[in-house]
Amino acid sequence: MSVSDPGRGRSLLWTALLLIVVFAVVPALLASAGRSYLYQVANLIMIFSLLSVSMHLVTGVAGLLQLGHAAFYGVGAYCAALLATHFKLSIGITLPAAGLAAGLVAFLVALPTMRLVSIYFAVATLGIGQMLYVVMLNWVPVTKGPNGILLFGGLQFLGFDLSKPAPAYFFVATVVSVSIYVLHRLSHSYYGNALRALREDDQCADAMGIDTARLKLESFTVSGFFAGVAGALWAHTAGYISPADFNFNVSILILSMVVLGGLGSLPGAIVGAVLLIGLPELLREFKAGDYRNIIIGLVLFGAILFLPKGLIGETSALDLVRRQFGRGRSIPGHEGGVGWK
Amino acid sequence: MSEPFLSIRDLGRAFGGLKAVDGVSADIARGELVGLIGPNGAGKTTLFNLISGFTPPSSGEVHFKGRRIDGLKPDEIARAGIGRTFQNLRIFPNMSVFDNVSVGAIGAERIGMLSAFTGRRGVSERISQRGLAALQAVKLIDDAEELAANISYGKRKYLEIARALAMQPDLLILDEPAAGLNETETKALADFIASLHADGMTIILVEHDMKLVMSICRRIIVLASGRKIADGTPAEVKADPAVLEAYLGGDDA
Ligand SMILES: Nc1ncnc2c1ncn2[C@@H]1O[C@H](COP(=O)(O)OP(=O)(O)O)[C@@H](O)[C@H]1O
Ligand SMILES: [Mg+2]
Repeated sequence: MSVSDPGRGRSLLWTALLLIVVFAVVPALLASAGRSYLYQVANLIMIFSLLSVSMHLVTGVAGLLQLGHAAFYGVGAYCAALLATHFKLSIGITLPAAGLAAGLVAFLVALPTMRLVSIYFAVATLGIGQMLYVVMLNWVPVTKGPNGILLFGGLQFLGFDLSKPAPAYFFVATVVSVSIYVLHRLSHSYYGNALRALREDDQCADAMGIDTARLKLESFTVSGFFAGVAGALWAHTAGYISPADFNFNVSILILSMVVLGGLGSLPGAIVGAVLLIGLPELLREFKAGDYRNIIIGLVLFGAILFLPKGLIGETSALDLVRRQFGRGRSIPGHEGGVGWK
Repeated sequence: MSEPFLSIRDLGRAFGGLKAVDGVSADIARGELVGLIGPNGAGKTTLFNLISGFTPPSSGEVHFKGRRIDGLKPDEIARAGIGRTFQNLRIFPNMSVFDNVSVGAIGAERIGMLSAFTGRRGVSERISQRGLAALQAVKLIDDAEELAANISYGKRKYLEIARALAMQPDLLILDEPAAGLNETETKALADFIASLHADGMTIILVEHDMKLVMSICRRIIVLASGRKIADGTPAEVKADPAVLEAYLGGDDA
């Protein structure tokens, strides 16, 4: 947040434009194309936008390398799917429940790990992500293992049937927009500045009286909550989920979106999601789908090489990685580094 | 005056076998500007880290405003009213100058997540004002929207002090603020620190530059090999044989 906020008018303009595109232009195009498959792609782009913006908060803004985001997405998806299939609950209930479940898991993960030096924290998120994935895969009585879960009953909300492609699109668009707005307020406020201080130099933030442990815990939990919300959207709109939707590759895909867009930039995270979901789908149209992962890899490689700060980022990905290995008071006997070289 | 403002009692810290700070005691009154000098490796930075909670003491106590603060976490000590800068300049490079100082005010105000939704009223308003006042004090207001990484080294030094000032601390501890500055810049910095002191700020100043310390501090504490070897006026300290020996015997004069 700057002093006089000269960017405020511009950012309002961008917001208005974005809303027009999401709620008018894209639906009109989708309706004229008339293929339900394209609606699926559009939903997927929005769901991944929410995933990447939620990771943006914790990785781009707070600087905590999150390598297991897909697992929280999965916790939300499974929570929603199980509530929907076993208790016939509609998304009005499963969606907040999925967010809370994923947020709770994130909270429990962060509680013992937040005092770790960054790199160990990153490794912990990787481990937890894999662990949750293994649970989804092997807890067959509940998750049906690799077979996944089918959701019948479509998308019901407050008694309305939103199962048709267009209403489903508008529902996803609304939930994602509101969620991203909340994440936007968190990252573009003094609270967001406190998180940035954490990313830049957490000991220094300590010296300013910032309760860094609490901030890490909060941002990680909120980020997990919105990943869970994205999971519920995915479960209800796709109608079928399986563990493969939430494995390590997906975590890396989301991380790639944040890095490609630029660490610390919320619009960047959205652009990253649109590109990394949209481009491969476009290629599929041209029967080049097999090269999907290669293309994603090349885009990412090029981005780190030629755009150190991503498309519009605040800090470079290499810096972030370097900082993960930086000073840490949590290794016993290594309290040094405060002014002493 | 029963309870001193800052009271360091028999404070010690060893790293392995090395006693970096060895039984240092000192009382500092509100409103004092105290210089802390000593040869390289004397333990000045370590003493600052002990006071600000970055390094836990091996022995001794620190009391601040009548409250025992050793053992508290660095952020708790900061909120108790101690602001500090670092010897090797530590600012937030990828944030604007204003956002840098805002962090000092944010820490002091202890904001929570909900403040992100209350707009510019209340606590956010107070943070803006504190931040702007701190920038005004160091004359960096024109650079407010500049990225901190892009301003000159000299300005970054002031930025770091402004960030601590935005906390509105009761005690400010500065670790070699003049390091890397040329003579004119050092002179200007000395005037600035003196003016902060004149406005009532309590300051402990670690400095290598003897001239700077002698010119603005009325009380000087000398450390050598972790021990306090002198504590008095510049004239007293300069005449102290122990000080002369420490400086002549050390690797730098
Ligand atoms: N974290 C640490 N680990 C080991 N030794 C340290 C550490 N911090 C300081 N020291 C040692 O303690 C002594 C005092 O250092 P320091 O406080 O930085 O001195 P000064 O700031 O007066 O130059 C030095 O000999 C230094 O090598
Ligand atoms: Mg030092």
